[in-house]
Amino acid sequence: MIRFSDVSVTYRGGVQALRNVDLRIDDGEFVVIVGLSGAGKSTLLRALNGLVPATSGSITIDGTEVVGAQSAELRAIRSRIGMIFQTFNLVNRTSVLNNVLMGRLASVPAWRSTIGLWPATDTEIAMQALERVGIVEKAYVRAADLSGGQQQRVGIARALAQEPSVMLADEPVAALDPVTSRQVMGDLRRINRELGITTLVNLHFLDLAREFGRRLVGLRDGEVVFDGDIADVTDETFRDIYGRAITDDDLLAVDDEPTG
Amino acid sequence: MATGPTTGTDGRPAAPTGTARRRLAMGALLVLAVGWSITGLEVTVDRLLGAPGDAWDIFRRMFPPAFAEAAERGVVGKVFESVHIAWIGTLIGALASLPLAFLAAGNVAPAWVRVPVRQLFNVIRAVPELILAMILIPITGLGPWAGALAIGVHSIGTLGKWATEAIEGIDEGPLEAVAATGGRWASSMRWGVLPQILPVVTSQWLFRFEINVRASAVLGMIGAGGVGSELVSQLVFRNFPAVGAVLLMTIVVVLAIDTVSAAVRRRIIRGAGRAPGDVVGGDRNAAVLVDLTGIGR
Amino acid sequence: MNGPTVAARPTRPRPGARTWVIVGVLITYTVFAGRQVGFDISTFWNVWSNPLWEKFWPVPWDWVLDWHNVLDPLLETFQIAVVATLVGCGLALPLAFIMSPLTSPNRLTMIVSRSVMNVVRAVPDLFWAKLLVTAVGIGAFAGSWALSVFSLAVMVKLFSETVDGADPRPLEAARATGGRHLPVIRTGVLPTVLPEYVAYGLYVFELNIRASVVLGLVGAGGIGRVIEAQRQYFRFDRVLGILLLVFVVVIVIEQVSVAVRKRLV
Repeated sequence: MIRFSDVSVTYRGGVQALRNVDLRIDDGEFVVIVGLSGAGKSTLLRALNGLVPATSGSITIDGTEVVGAQSAELRAIRSRIGMIFQTFNLVNRTSVLNNVLMGRLASVPAWRSTIGLWPATDTEIAMQALERVGIVEKAYVRAADLSGGQQQRVGIARALAQEPSVMLADEPVAALDPVTSRQVMGDLRRINRELGITTLVNLHFLDLAREFGRRLVGLRDGEVVFDGDIADVTDETFRDIYGRAITDDDLLAVDDEPTG
Repeated sequence: MATGPTTGTDGRPAAPTGTARRRLAMGALLVLAVGWSITGLEVTVDRLLGAPGDAWDIFRRMFPPAFAEAAERGVVGKVFESVHIAWIGTLIGALASLPLAFLAAGNVAPAWVRVPVRQLFNVIRAVPELILAMILIPITGLGPWAGALAIGVHSIGTLGKWATEAIEGIDEGPLEAVAATGGRWASSMRWGVLPQILPVVTSQWLFRFEINVRASAVLGMIGAGGVGSELVSQLVFRNFPAVGAVLLMTIVVVLAIDTVSAAVRRRIIRGAGRAPGDVVGGDRNAAVLVDLTGIGR
Repeated sequence: MNGPTVAARPTRPRPGARTWVIVGVLITYTVFAGRQVGFDISTFWNVWSNPLWEKFWPVPWDWVLDWHNVLDPLLETFQIAVVATLVGCGLALPLAFIMSPLTSPNRLTMIVSRSVMNVVRAVPDLFWAKLLVTAVGIGAFAGSWALSVFSLAVMVKLFSETVDGADPRPLEAARATGGRHLPVIRTGVLPTVLPEYVAYGLYVFELNIRASVVLGLVGAGGIGRVIEAQRQYFRFDRVLGILLLVFVVVIVIEQVSVAVRKRLV
């Protein structure tokens, strides 16, 4: 279980990205987080795995405190949290398999990962992760030679290889076309259902949020302004969260019919 | 001092005067500096006029170059010795500078490590190979090893600086990804940084090798191995055809190495620039390479 | 599982024969070169305990900061660098234009000039210095000639790349007016490339200051001659003092040069 207790994050320039955030997320939930750019979505995710240090408050994952955790402790926490990024953040010049194996960095001895001599068990885990996202046949292809959607699935596989209990997705489809976006979101939902991994997804597109989310958290100016079931969400809700009327830019596809 | 357009009496903007005055001042300063320098160097007119003639005379006397004689004396072997010296020296410099560069880059190393290492690079770079060799010869004795070490140590400075710049120009996304998986700093370097910089760093090494071949030829002049000693001894005897032979052989080898190395470097950079998501990296590679050209020392 | 059927896992590709051959050649050559060069690993720890280091300290500052001994030759070094930069860079400007396909008057001169410059660059700079010293006699005169050639070579290399990459459109426009070759270049290309030219010129000046130190070692004047003389007397303490002084001067010039260059580009 993840718990945010009165969490605030202020960046060094003085910008306050999160204000007194209280959230409780149970195991296996699929949470979609929406809000304008700068509302604090990225900060919320990164506070959870310590990439951004929280200024005050407490964040616990299954009882382990994240705020203030140092080096080895922090790395241990992070190894249980998988993260995928808007820009994929793959190592372009190396193979897909090597990229996925990076998910095993926390558990493989340093000398082995440096040379690239990954143990057979870890390679097996990586391969299975690739199978789960359906691109195992690309295992030895250079990451840069894949399409955007495929690259993001490699990112997901990398996160899966960590055998995480939590999955964070920071605007995972913002750089993808509508069809691919739906595929990736579908993959995330499927993984959440099949493996029971608690999933938090930042989304920019409101129709995607409504289509794939189960629980919606709305952020505005660093505060949680909505937290509830996706069934209770209306256009009015989004207007409240955004503080303005919804425009076409906030929707993934205006003309396409949603599939799945 | 007006630097922008101001309106004159006829409504047209007046020409800016500030920059013109500044340019004039700088020009005058330049002329003064030059005049003072020239007089300081005892440049007299007849010396000036005579010099090209003297140089041409020597040049003429180098033909025909005494190749046979040179081959007998083993000059060819000496030229290749210079290449060996440059190779070993560059290798030493490359292997030592890369780990250090990770400690010197602003985006991956903390300030208290970064500053001393960068200063170390600067200090090393400031010492010419010749001086290093002079210091090393009493310790290692005369011969190619002194030359190789001098080149190696000096190269640490230059290669270190170039590698640091390469590291600072990378896309930091993969670094974040490694951190997010719970990997250590060293893993971030190995998987986040190294793949991105390896092509440009390798071509930096090759470029340095090209420069070092020339440097090692020069080091021979003080006895640190290679063809420089040949040049000096033949000049002392004023055996100009032999000098010509030495020069020509050096030029041929240097040109050959330059050409091959340039071709390999181009392939490395082109191969690296393939990745569509890597456009920024590719451009930066080109930029660093342009910066490299002409950095003679 | 209602996804697509799981694809077969691919086998791991092995590096090709060509890769192994290249690696093998490189390693073999390295070992061979190491032996030829007399690679001696013990130097790395022997060098620290060598009694020679005592000769470097203490530095006799009174001797080093003396005008006649050191400061005057240092000044001469500076003057050599100034002259060499001006002559070398001055000649490099028209030469770079001749060498560039964009601005060359005709193809033959372009090819000839490029070839000549390649050969000039292939000769190590100190070889030039030694030759010129033999030709015109020891002293700063030879030194400035040698450095001029060096400056020319470096400047041409740097600057011709700028010219090659210059925006061709103003040049086209200038040509279209039907002007003669020289004015066309003056108006069509020169303004574009001038800032970089000056920036490179300053950079070459920096290089020359360092280079003229070394030049003196072969008798071409400047502080290098003093260093060589002191080295031959084994007065390493004086050598160290001179080197430190030169180091400071170089740093100062570097900072000034960087500041000026920033304001230009």
